[in-house]
Amino acid sequence: MREFEYVRAGEVGQAVAMVTADPETSYLAGGTTQLDLMKDGVLAPDRLVDITRLPLGGVTRDGDVLRVGALASMEELAADPTVAERLPFLREALLMGASPQLRNMATIGGNLLQRTRCRYFRDPAVSACNKRRRGTGCAAVQEVARMHAILGASEHCIALHPSDMAVALVALDAVVHLLGAGGSRSVPIREFYLLPGDTPDVENVLRHGELITAVEVPLLPPGARSTYLKVRDRASYEFALTSAAVALRIDGGVIGEARVAMGGVGTVPWRATTTEQMLEGSPPSPEVFAAAAELAITDPYVVPGTAFKVELAKRTVARALRTAATQGGPR
Amino acid sequence: MTTVEQRTGLVGQGVDRVDGPLKVTGAARYPNDFSYPDLAYAALVRSTVAAGRISRLDTAAALASPGVLAVITHQNAPRLERAPDSGLTAPPPPLQDDRITFHGQYVAVVVADSAEEATAAARRVEAEYEPAEPILDMGDPRAEWITDPWGTDSSRGDLKGALASAEVRFEATYTTAANSNSPMGLFSTVAVWDGDDLTIHDSTQWPSYLRKAIAQVFSLPEGNVRVLCPYVGGAFGAGLRAWPHIMLAALAARTVGRPVKLVLTRPEMFTGVGHRTASEQCVKLGATRDGRLVALAHESTTPLQIEGTQFEPCTAGSASAYACPNVITRDRQVRLNIPWCNFMRAPGEAQGNFALESAMDELAYELGMDPLELRLRNYSEDNPRLELPWSSKSLRECYEVGAERFGWSRRSPEPGSMRDGDSLIGYGVAGVSFFWYQEPCEARATLRKDGTAVVRSAVTDIGTGTYTVMTQLSAECLGLDMAHVTFELGDSDLPAGAAAGGSGLTAAVGSAVQAACRNLVRAFLDTVRDDPTSPLQGCTIDEVSVGGGRIHRIDAPESGEAYADILAAHGIGELSADGSSTPNDPKVAGMAPSGAFAARFVEVRVDPDLGLMQVARVVSVVDAGRILNEKTATSQIMGGTVGGIGMAMLEEIVTDPGTGRVANATFGDYLIPVNADIPDMEVAFVGRPDRFNSVGVKGVGEIGLVGIGAAIANAVHHATGRRVRSLPITIEQLF
Repeated sequence: MREFEYVRAGEVGQAVAMVTADPETSYLAGGTTQLDLMKDGVLAPDRLVDITRLPLGGVTRDGDVLRVGALASMEELAADPTVAERLPFLREALLMGASPQLRNMATIGGNLLQRTRCRYFRDPAVSACNKRRRGTGCAAVQEVARMHAILGASEHCIALHPSDMAVALVALDAVVHLLGAGGSRSVPIREFYLLPGDTPDVENVLRHGELITAVEVPLLPPGARSTYLKVRDRASYEFALTSAAVALRIDGGVIGEARVAMGGVGTVPWRATTTEQMLEGSPPSPEVFAAAAELAITDPYVVPGTAFKVELAKRTVARALRTAATQGGPR
Repeated sequence: MTTVEQRTGLVGQGVDRVDGPLKVTGAARYPNDFSYPDLAYAALVRSTVAAGRISRLDTAAALASPGVLAVITHQNAPRLERAPDSGLTAPPPPLQDDRITFHGQYVAVVVADSAEEATAAARRVEAEYEPAEPILDMGDPRAEWITDPWGTDSSRGDLKGALASAEVRFEATYTTAANSNSPMGLFSTVAVWDGDDLTIHDSTQWPSYLRKAIAQVFSLPEGNVRVLCPYVGGAFGAGLRAWPHIMLAALAARTVGRPVKLVLTRPEMFTGVGHRTASEQCVKLGATRDGRLVALAHESTTPLQIEGTQFEPCTAGSASAYACPNVITRDRQVRLNIPWCNFMRAPGEAQGNFALESAMDELAYELGMDPLELRLRNYSEDNPRLELPWSSKSLRECYEVGAERFGWSRRSPEPGSMRDGDSLIGYGVAGVSFFWYQEPCEARATLRKDGTAVVRSAVTDIGTGTYTVMTQLSAECLGLDMAHVTFELGDSDLPAGAAAGGSGLTAAVGSAVQAACRNLVRAFLDTVRDDPTSPLQGCTIDEVSVGGGRIHRIDAPESGEAYADILAAHGIGELSADGSSTPNDPKVAGMAPSGAFAARFVEVRVDPDLGLMQVARVVSVVDAGRILNEKTATSQIMGGTVGGIGMAMLEEIVTDPGTGRVANATFGDYLIPVNADIPDMEVAFVGRPDRFNSVGVKGVGEIGLVGIGAAIANAVHHATGRRVRSLPITIEQLF
């Protein structure tokens, strides 16, 4: 049996110090990704530092910003009244993102860091995986890909970022708060994730030992319309083939502000900025939505199994825009 | 609704499962629930190439791992014999040489004090291979083809001529994906040796065969082996073979001199216990303008493990499904370096029906005819292949009752003409003529001095309800309350039982149970034959009936005697009788044995912009002869329907084209339906007791899965105008 040490951290500084000091030590929160990957032999830390008892939970509102503790559960955030009122599409993304059992275990910090579902990454019997071991190649590109990325991807890696919640948070320009041995810092979520390039094993800006402590989420303006649309093979309990998180502020028949992000297509949660630019200042019509959605995918990297996502993602964005505009109003 | 006749008394009632309380309280013991003092655990090492030879195996690190008791490979495994045929050649015994024929083949088994230690050590076995180029594609010119593998191909009339002269011709190719049985219960074996006696707890559907197989593999007298499987956590056909891992558990136990438990992992379930083959099928139809079939050709090609065997006749059903004078059906297999193909709920039929019933639907559109009407117009009143009357057939009633319940008349014929918001609505229908199958079976009935009975047969209840329906049937045959009857199964020491396969178990074991019970009543009559104090003195079996725990004279029901009183009066502790059943011979019986028939009606809703499809309704009307238990029979149809929806929309084993590795061998990657995918399912039974077996039943275990694929594909066409000829129908094909 491969043994590892389990430590329950008593305070935040101690946890950070323990993990920072040893490259083979990892944090353990809800464990919904970490433990799976350890059982499958993909991850093999020598020590796990359990942070679930640290005072990093809670969801609090401060004016127009929601501060979400890294250890708040997905369920806790989904059930928060401010989220229901002012961030309804974030709530939808959370509820569609996992079963109740998982939502009760999985934390917000952990969700941001959840690992790809790429079946080549997850099977150590497959040797070619640049994400597991840099320089070994990418079996997903060679074999049969489907649940894989077309944006931010290359022959080095097409592993998809699987989170639904992170898509909504990217649309919202959330800010991730980090604490490291050298102090704390804040990173806009769009800068938090790193494109794989030729180092797919590096997925974000976290330094070893740095801990996500909280996420700050700006609330949507009152009256904003939003929706999260998830297109998937089965009606529940499945990752997205494509998804779209959309929030619109419509003033006097014109789109004043548009926030559009996509899931199921990117190696990182993907913000559709060109689409947003076209929408802003335009009337909310089906033609505008279709035209703006056309701009959502540029320079995709596709393999035979993922080529369909180019068109499906555009349609997903167009439908989400239409749904947000017509049904996504305040509830 | 027309219900089955003779549904009186206990049999037919939808009584609750007798094993239900045990299951919901966790008291039912499945194979991996058994434990023994000093139990050791085994874990498997599987090959990571699909073809070639093992060039190096280093077990030193594994052997040195904590808790490890043994590492068995082809280098140190004793010689094992091949298991006997089960009707099909058995898988070869494991670890006998260095050859690899598929990705996932066992190359070592590690035995340790704990399951965790065994698993960890198994990862430390270092295997290197001298790989060969695997044959993974049916188009590979190196692949060996087998034509008419089981002698089931058929030909009648002049197909070529009829096709050439047909007023309307239609031809298309259909494909179905490989599916995994993957029952929830991970297949498990616990092996316990006591000298040369071996006890095996296993997830088998056929203990009588598995005992023979194990005995032969280990060169033991059959009587030394006992296979126990009182509860099996699902199997869907996966438990019909004597798989190598079973032999490895027994081998491991003998090697370490301790009981050994081996529980397959979910990924191992995808490579170690068989799967439903993919298929490629061509259907050609010729018809008159008014929709009479004049020609029908159905050809199928399915993959086969390169050294494997499998009975998967995709086209055989098409020879008798419709009244058509000119027919050819042909099956072929292609040997590939893939894991073993095996039976999975409705083997052959599930794939073949999809092709035939899709083609019939396409022909209906060609003819501008209601698809239901086309089927009725070509209804086969007699079995056109055997040219004998069916032993029972109420398929017409299935169509009629189904159409009424479903509201088929509300269908507007034009594809794409029914809409609700963003959703296109489609109606689809498929007919099913399931095959007949039955094996010999034995049973023993015993009445005890307290007036209770126990009836036994070495069959299994894989969740189908065998415990319950055989308790009902036994109680009826003996005239006892169900509470006074126990049915025992799942033990190879019991009278030899038929396999839980081919939808044939209920007829087989039911007939044997009837015979045993009747013989038991005879034994009681023999006991009192010369007893002047018994009101039954001198009675023959035909002069008596049973009820209320007693035997009584038909002509004078008040004249009778309780079983318990007879035993007490004669100082007998208990009385037993055996019964057996063998399948009827169609020629002698002068009829074609019928399997169940069904009509499946499906409504789908398709969002054509996003390719999202939801099955909104399923109405199934089934002629399964006499229904022994309305509730468990309905559950079988519903469960089969869920499997059919999985096959139609989600399930596909993906194999890496480069390596032959199953790429999606987890429930995260191999999708099966969840509750949200499943609509309300309406099930109704029609028909009369079947004449081919004494119980009057036609099995319901598999037919629930059949026809769903075609009905969904036909409904998708009706909704969207798009014809999808390959399963599963995924989002890519619909947007």
